[in-house]
Formats: sequence, structure tokens, C-alpha cells
Amino acid sequence: MAASAYPPPPPFYRLYKHFKSDEEEGEEDGRSDEDADKTKGPDSAGEIGGEDWDLPPQPPPPITGAYVMYGQTYGTEDVLPTLEEQGLRQLYPKGVNVDFKKELKALNRELLFNFLELADVLVDRPSQYARRIEDIGLIFRNIHHLLNGLRPHQARTTLIHILEVQLKRRKEALAEIRRRREEAKALLRGADPSSKEEDEKPKESKDGDPLDIKGDLMELDQGLEGAFDLPKLM
Amino acid sequence: MDVVSQLQDQANHMASLFFNYVGALQRDAPPVRLGDEPPPPPPPPEVDVKGQGKMMATAVVQAAKTFDALVGALPVTAGGEEEQLKRIAELQAENEAVANELQSELSAMEAELAQVREVFHLVVDHCLRKPKVVNAK
Repeated sequence: MAASAYPPPPPFYRLYKHFKSDEEEGEEDGRSDEDADKTKGPDSAGEIGGEDWDLPPQPPPPITGAYVMYGQTYGTEDVLPTLEEQGLRQLYPKGVNVDFKKELKALNRELLFNFLELADVLVDRPSQYARRIEDIGLIFRNIHHLLNGLRPHQARTTLIHILEVQLKRRKEALAEIRRRREEAKALLRGADPSSKEEDEKPKESKDGDPLDIKGDLMELDQGLEGAFDLPKLM
Repeated sequence: MDVVSQLQDQANHMASLFFNYVGALQRDAPPVRLGDEPPPPPPPPEVDVKGQGKMMATAVVQAAKTFDALVGALPVTAGGEEEQLKRIAELQAENEAVANELQSELSAMEAELAQVREVFHLVVDHCLRKPKVVNAK
């Protein structure tokens, strides 16, 4: 048995081959038994695929609820937990419509004030530093929670912008295609000598041909008679 | 980088400034006299506590001003979540309609292209089959 420097591929590749057709081709070509064995599917292929045993199995359904991975439990729903759920006090007013700009600026001022108070406490009453540091930490957590709350809004705004850009590009492409079609029609009408006398008449074809090319082919053919005579070109 | 990420970075930067500056001030602060103790020795001349304090205060205020400027740069939130979702649904419907129109135009254009090619082949065949007329001089 030959040794290979590389590990064998995972056996799942066999599920994505059409073993029936390979097996029949092997018999027709008269391959050796060794080659025929290589193209035969595994015995369990019929059990895995069911009736259509040469098709790969369906992917597993998406997971809902909570799942465990490497000993940790994760959830499938991405919801930003509130500050109360994290055991923290919310410093800005609660409600659906929060003025993010106003609250962020207020928290920034509060942060500077608390830092100054910390500096004062360290000078006068150094043993009471813990309370001030806790307050500064709480303000920072509130700032970050507000910024995290901005993310869904940012995602929706980005999506709206992408859709608008996509719509604009599609409309431009549509207008360009229509313009090119009109140009092509104009060129073809100009190339047909018989159509020069009937430029104003709308053409009606029997089979609904938009360019009415087939209807004018005979006239075009006759119009081209003599157009490429050598003496004229010379 | 988007404004929200910049705001988050700026908040973290302010936290690191607070942490580092308080630590540096505590480390470099000269000893304080308590009661009837003899006066403490003057600090070494290399450590400029007052100058450092001024520099730190400037940096903290600058960071706070940058944070305020970034908050001001946030786009105005026009409408709530429901209005945004409604706008997204409208845009998706419009996008789909234009996509269908584009697809039908493309199909018609491909059909016309096939017809033009057919005409071109006919013309070329005509030219190739036409006998050459040579004037005998």
C-alpha cells in the first residue's frame, strides 16, 4: 500500500458524486476491476440519501433557541441587554425615543466633573476614592450602552443607503439599455434602403417582430444587389 | 471609520487618560507634611509635577472636546425604527420592480441581438455568394 504525504480527503466527497452513472460508464468502457471498484459508491449511500441515493443529504435545519459550544451556552437571538439586566443604574431617561446626542454630551460633562471630584478627593480625603471611581465607571458604562444602542439604527440607515444606491444603478442601467436599443433600431432602419421612403410609417409585422427585420429581409436583399459591385468600389 | 466606532474609541481613550494620569500624579506627588513632622525634602528637579498636571489637564479637556465634536457629527436621526423599516420595505419593493423591468429589457435586447446577427449573416452570405464581376480591359 503506497504511503501518501498528504492525509486522505474526508469521506463526505463520495456523497457528491453520481455513482450510478460512474458505475455504468465503467462497465461500458470495460475498465479493469480495480478501476470499477474505485468508482463504486459506499454501501451506506442508499441509506443516507433515501430514494435518491446518489444525492447528498439535506443540510441540518437552523438552530433555534440556546445551544452549547465548547462548554459555553450561547443564544441565537442578538438582543442588547438593558443596564438593569446587567445590574447597573441607568443615568439617562428611559424610553423608546432617546435623544442620543443630548444624552451623550450630558454624560461627557458629568464624566469631567466626576474626574475633577476624584482629583479633589485624592487630595483631601484619599480614603474615599472608591465611590468616585465607581461613579466614573458607571458613567462610562452608560456611554457605551448608549453607543451600542446606536448600532441597530446605524445598520438600518446603512441598509437604506445601500438599497438607494442599488436602485439608482438599476435605473441607470435600464435607461442605458433602452437608449442603446433605440440607437440600434435607428441604425437598422437607416441601413435598409427600402425603409427610407417609408420612414414615417409605423411598421406592422405579422409575427409581432419588434424590429420587423424578417419582413424587410427580402427588400434588404434586393437593395444590396449591385451595392458591392467591384467597378463601383474601384 | 464610522462615527459610532470613533466615539467608542474616544470613550476608551478618555478612560485610559484618567487611569494613567491619576496613577502618574499619585506616583510623582511630593510627600505631605502631617502635624509636627519636619518639613519633607523638596522633590527632585527632574519631576515637574505642576507642568505635568497642566499637560494632563490640557489632554483631558482636549479629549472631552473631541468627544463632543464627534457627538455633534452624528447624523440626525430622522424617524424611529418603524419608519426606517417601512422605508426599507418600500425600497425593496421598488428594487424588485426595477429588477423585473431590467430583466425583461435584457431579454428583449437579446432577442433583437439575435435578429441583427441573423441579418448580418444573410448579408455576409449574399456578399460571398455574389459572383465577382471583372471588367475585361
